[in-house]
This record gives sequence, structure tokens and C-alpha cells, in this order.
Amino acid sequence: MTTMKMRSLSEISIKSNAVLKHTAAKRARNIIGMAFYYFVLLSLSFVFVYPLLYIISKSLMRPEDVADATIRWIPKMFSLGNYKVAAEYLNYWPSLLNSVIISFGSAALQIISCSLIGYGFARYRFPGQTFWLAMVVFTFLVPPQTFVVPLFSFFLDLNWVNTHLPFVVPAVMGHGLKGALFVLIFIQFYRQLPNVLEEAARIDGAGAFRTYWGIMLPLAKPAMLVVFLFSVVWHWNDTFEPNLYLLVPEYFNLSQSMAFFNGIADVSSMQAASSTGASSAIGQAPTLQNQIMAGVMLTILPILLLYLFTQRYFVESVERTGIAGE
Amino acid sequence: MKNKLGLSMRGRHILEGYSFISLWIAGFLLFMAYPLGRSLYFSFNNMENSKNGLQATYVGMLNYRTAFSTDIDFLPLLKTTMTTMLTQVPLILIFAMFSALLLNGKIKGRTIFRGIFFLPVIIASGAVLKELLQQGAAQLPIFSQGDLEEKLSGLIPGNVLEQLLDYADSLTLVMWDSGVQILIFIAGLQTISPQLYEAAKMDGATKWESFWKITFPMITPMLFVNTLYSIVNMFTKADNKVMDYIVTQQVFQKNNFGYASALGWIYFCLIALVLAIVFVIFRRSLSATEGRG
Repeated sequence: MTTMKMRSLSEISIKSNAVLKHTAAKRARNIIGMAFYYFVLLSLSFVFVYPLLYIISKSLMRPEDVADATIRWIPKMFSLGNYKVAAEYLNYWPSLLNSVIISFGSAALQIISCSLIGYGFARYRFPGQTFWLAMVVFTFLVPPQTFVVPLFSFFLDLNWVNTHLPFVVPAVMGHGLKGALFVLIFIQFYRQLPNVLEEAARIDGAGAFRTYWGIMLPLAKPAMLVVFLFSVVWHWNDTFEPNLYLLVPEYFNLSQSMAFFNGIADVSSMQAASSTGASSAIGQAPTLQNQIMAGVMLTILPILLLYLFTQRYFVESVERTGIAGE
Repeated sequence: MKNKLGLSMRGRHILEGYSFISLWIAGFLLFMAYPLGRSLYFSFNNMENSKNGLQATYVGMLNYRTAFSTDIDFLPLLKTTMTTMLTQVPLILIFAMFSALLLNGKIKGRTIFRGIFFLPVIIASGAVLKELLQQGAAQLPIFSQGDLEEKLSGLIPGNVLEQLLDYADSLTLVMWDSGVQILIFIAGLQTISPQLYEAAKMDGATKWESFWKITFPMITPMLFVNTLYSIVNMFTKADNKVMDYIVTQQVFQKNNFGYASALGWIYFCLIALVLAIVFVIFRRSLSATEGRG
């Protein structure tokens, strides 16, 4: 209820002549309403920025700062020592390269394939369409983990394990990580476009593919941006598939290396705990925690930058793609 | 117009349509249908890793019976996942709708706020979320700090209080999980014509009434999409224990392919059941909004 009230207050009130004398009181209420509105927004924003602040603050602390009880957020002396250690453990540059290859490669392929498939579903009527559309939804709903065993042995038979092919080939065919969702986004987008453009192109003698490539695809930029960003981010953070198909450290991406690093840290903290007889409340020695947070920061920094530059267009695009439709 | 194959207009249309989606169908057969079929076959067999590859021995329903009788870990994990799902999905939906309404207003800096609300999707997922959870950073200090528990213990009976605090603790996770849903709701809110609100206002409707009579019915489809999305996300996200159990325990440590497949199928049936219930609940309200402008 408060939400709606606040929205009403945020709109500039329409002055009708009958209520002129209430205007002053209304303005005062408006200001209070706006203040409350921003208060709610800001405090919610804090919850969302909190993990980032936590990561940055912890990662910059030195061992002395951790021990110092007066320090909660801002370390007295900034130090990049944690980052150095973390970068070493993460095997940073090779892992980063692997992450970039997998995320951006798969995302680019998924844009091309899912857009093509989405177009076919959205603009053509053919027998069996309902069935295949249902299969797309089905693919989206089935968790990949349920059939991972045979898929793994399938890739093993094909000798695709420890190559990038388990990511590339499904992506080319409009599958891969959340591929079905991306197809659905494109279907939704192409459905909104008017028919006249295609008809004009066809009358001018363009074939089916040319119409798609020359006329419809350039219009799909908002949908492409949304799919691209989603795909990059999800591939970047995904450890499940890389853990299955990329088993040697040379192929590890950042998220995998991060998990690996965390594993090492766990073991060494357990050793430390058992040798001193003390057990840390959270299970890790404080300095290790900071090194891990530095590693986390290094892991998310590239996509954070990407998001920083694209988020404006991204949020606008989501509105225009009609993701929500239906 | 050239017509190489001598097809009618309709025939050509169908052929073109199929050639656009043929890539997907091929992928579906290779990466969905085939592995799904194989895993169903695996689940009725005992798979042995031998020199000449996997050896299957038919065991009937044994794997399924084991999951429900002998396996002491699986059912509790399943139960935990279900309770988390049931408690968190409604919270996520309510919170996402609330945030979307907040962010939909014409306010200064709303692009920035929207960017911030979506931030956790970028950072607090997958491996990173695991680290944050491990360090206890996924809980708001407000609830753990101070002596909230002591202060409240006089007012609320102990076990109820404990559950309430647990619930409060999970709020951060709920908020971090709702980024995508907020975006979907905002996109939905944008499609509602302002004229509807004006008309309602003229007729003397309060904001509260116009929310329930206009906004809510108009975004029911998005609510449906979001419910599906949240449920699927809950069941498959990185910190889900059942997934971990199936994959790590059964596949990599014990090499128990047949049993892991059976567990996967049980899990899948459960998800399908939940989704079917959601479909039934939404069917009536969805058909009511169908055919709107």
C-alpha cells in the first residue's frame, strides 16, 4: 500500500481548481513522501551493494588490520598484498583468458544461433510448431544436472573432454547454458515486430535468409544485448559445466580456479586449526579470508567492468525486448 | 519468382520455417533427447566401469527403491530443498514486485538504482556466492549484531523466534536472488498504459484499488514467468545441495552412474510436479487476461 502511495506522491500532482488551498499541505506531504521513498530505495540499495563493499574492504586489509578491533570497514593502510597472493594462486592471466574464451565465445555463438532459431519460431507457421515450442520450454525447465551423466559419457566417447567443444557445439545449435531461455527471449522479441518490413523485403525479391539477415537481425539489437550480457555473466560464474568438461588446470577458468583456491585455503586452515588447537568460528584463518576475497574481486572484476559500461543500455533493452511478454 | 523445388507457397513457407529451427532440433536430439533417454536407461541398470567401457546390468527399480529406503542422505536433502523453495520463492516474488514498483516511478537516478538492484546477479552467483556464504557475509549485520535475540526472547517464544531469525537471515539471499525477476516485472509494468490509471482515478479509485484492479491483473503473466523462473533457479542454482549430492557424490567419487541417474530422474519428477501445480494455479488467471490489448 505504501508503495502505491509513494508512487502517487512522486507524480506531480494535478492541480484542480477546487483543491487550490490544499496545495501547500500537499507539497509538504510530497516532500515527506519523496524523502521516505528515497530512504527505502537507498536502504535497499545498500543490501545490494553490501557484498561488493564487503569484498573490497576485506581484500584490502592486511593481517594487522584484521586483528585490530577498531577496524570494521576501512583498513588503516591499503595493501595490495592479498591481491598478489590471490593472483598467484588463481594462475590469473591464463585463467582469465580461459574465462574470456568460454564466456565471450559461447555468448557470441549463442546470439547468432538463438536469434536465428527464435526468428523461425516467431515468424513462421508450420505443422509441429507447437510441439517444438513445447520442447524449447521443456529444455529450459529440465535441470541439466539430471542428464549430466550420459552427456558426459557422450562427450567422453567423442573425445571432447578437455577441449572447448562441449561449449562450442551446443552453443552453435542454440543449446548450451540457458540456451532455451535465450531462444524464448528472441521469439518474444521477433513476435513484436510488424509484418510490413518483411513483406516489403520479400516483394523486393529478398529470400528468406536475406530478409532475416538484412532486415530483421539489425532490428534485434536490444534482444542481442540482453542475451549477450546474460550469457557472458552466466558462463563466467558457472563452475558446473567447466568442472565436468575441463578437468586439467591449464583449462581452468577463473571461477574454477577460485573454487580450487578456496579448497586449498580450507585445507591449510584446517591444518592450522588442528596444530594450534583453536578453531576459527567461520572455519578459515582471517588472513586467508582476505586473500580469498581478493581472489573473488579479481574473479568478478572483468564482468563488473563490462556491466558498468553496458548496464544503462542493458536495463533499457530488457524493457524493449518484451522478455516479460506472455 | 523462382521456385526450384516446385513447391506451393505454403510448402515453401513451411520448409523455410523448418530450416530456421532445424539447427535447434538437431541440437535437441543430440544434447537433450539422446542423453535423457540414456539416463533413463541407466537408471534401471547397474553401471560398471570396466575395460571395455560401461557395462550395464538390468536391475529394475532397485536404484529407485534404494533412493527412498537405504540412502539416508538423499531424502533429507530433498526435504530441505523443498522447504527452502516453498519459503523463499514467495518472498522473492513479493520483494521483486515491490522493488519493481519502486523503480518504475519517474524518479531521479532510476537507471543507477536499477543497475544496483541487478548487481547481485553479476557478482553474487556461482562460486563467488559460495565464498560469501562461507564467510558469513550473506547475512545482514542488523540481525546478527546487537542482542536482538535476547531482546525479543521475552516477547516471542524461543522456538518461534529462532525460526523467525533464520527467516530474517535468509532475506539477504532472497534479495540477491531477485535481480532477474525485478527486471521482468519492470518490463511488465512498462507495458501498462497510463490511461488506465487515469481512467480509474477519474472514477474515484484509490491507489490501493487501482493496484489490485489494474496493475496486479496486468502483470499476472509476468508473475507466472517469474514464478517458473524462480522455482527452476532455486532447484538448479550453484549452492543447491541436492545437485551437489547427485553430481559429486554419485558420479565423481563413487562412479555410481546408474544410481545417480535414478536420483536425477526422481529430482526431475519432483520439479515437474511442482511446476505442474504452478501451471494449474495460474491457468485460470492467465486465461482471464488473455486477449487483452
